[in-house]
Amino acid sequence: MKSFFLLILFSSSIYYSQEDLLSFIDDEEPASLPIQSIFKATRIVNAQSVEMARSKTLEFIIFHRFGSMSNGFYDLYGLDEASVRFDLSYGLNENISLGFGRSSYLKTYDFFYKLKLLSQKSKPSYSFASVVLFSKLEIATINKTLEFKNRLIYDVQLLIARKINQNFSIQIMPTVIHKNLIQTEDISNNLFSFGMGGRAKVTKRVSFNIDTFIPLGNRRTSFNQSWGLGCDIDTGGHVFQLLVTNAQGTFESSYIENATGNIKDIEIFFGFNITRSFII
Amino acid sequence: MIKTLLCLFILVPIYGKNIYFTRSGSVSFFSGTPLEDIKANNEQVTCVLDMETGKTSFRIPIRGFVFKNALMQEHFNENYLESEKYPNASFNGEIQNWNNLLMNEEPKQVVIAGEMTIHGVTNSIKENGIIYKRKKKVNGQATFNISLSDYMVKIPKILKKNIAESVELKINLELKKK
Repeated sequence: MKSFFLLILFSSSIYYSQEDLLSFIDDEEPASLPIQSIFKATRIVNAQSVEMARSKTLEFIIFHRFGSMSNGFYDLYGLDEASVRFDLSYGLNENISLGFGRSSYLKTYDFFYKLKLLSQKSKPSYSFASVVLFSKLEIATINKTLEFKNRLIYDVQLLIARKINQNFSIQIMPTVIHKNLIQTEDISNNLFSFGMGGRAKVTKRVSFNIDTFIPLGNRRTSFNQSWGLGCDIDTGGHVFQLLVTNAQGTFESSYIENATGNIKDIEIFFGFNITRSFII
Repeated sequence: MIKTLLCLFILVPIYGKNIYFTRSGSVSFFSGTPLEDIKANNEQVTCVLDMETGKTSFRIPIRGFVFKNALMQEHFNENYLESEKYPNASFNGEIQNWNNLLMNEEPKQVVIAGEMTIHGVTNSIKENGIIYKRKKKVNGQATFNISLSDYMVKIPKILKKNIAESVELKINLELKKK
């Protein structure tokens, strides 16, 4: 018994080593911080990601989609023609970003915002996923004779993403697109779809990304389900995204509802997005 | 009786200590190159000093470093310090020659030696600092350089000109009695 006491006495004084200095005051749990970098850029491939322009940061993205690869060497696998988009967005704070873009595809202007509803957090204040509301107004100006209200298309998406670990992130995107004007072969003004995307990091600075949108409800017969495969390269100041996709447009209604290509005819498009951020 | 004794034995070494601490110490780092200066500040440093032995421990949460550029801050966590894997940097060591140190309002030069762990890599360091006691608070300051490669923080070739290999750390603490 005596030796037992001695042991306790002894061990408790020895056990007081340097590590334990901190344990004298560690009575409160550290607050948990939002999980960072679920994706590298504000787009996965075509699709919007839960990332948004950082607070007080202006983010400039240039999108480039070459022509279809189906003509082969004649137009160097589509490199002779290109569809371009400029995209500027600004982070008002950590939870709101506003943006503006212009795409050469259908000469479309658009205005959009992202609103962060929830940030993924680790324990103790656990939250499972990050949730962002994305909404965009598109104005197609290619047809000069249309009334203004007939040019408008509205997109609303709920982006729900989870960083599973350092290397894998997944995202789902329930989407509704409302077109004020529809073609005769279209079935409805309101188009619902369910998007899925993800990334796998191969090194700290390179990741492979994928996204697709599954249509819900009927579509016209010429409809193709859109998909994109991409590779992110993060150089510190820029994020380069190299990709192939079956949609040439880079705004929501074009790449979700108007993907023209298919693999069978090699009608796919090579493209890239370059993201650059500026502190203002 | 046995239980009381037991408790006493366990508690004595703990409550007998003369401990000073802070949870809001500051550490800043600075990387200067001709191309770019990178600064970040962290106000969440936990430090404990045992006034009897001069032993001291630090814990620095990596996520606590605040940069002017939010994207840079994210890259710092994600690509360089890997803060999800290694959430804290820490230091365990002692102030040398503690028993001969006369603590008063006059700043005294001291040497701090011990083990520094950053990015999961531990190195022995020995640096100069200043310590003094004013209004019942113990103040400590130190400025020194660490080499990123010592802690396996890799800089890609393309950014070698933007990020200094040796970064300056400035530590400023005000400890109060527990």
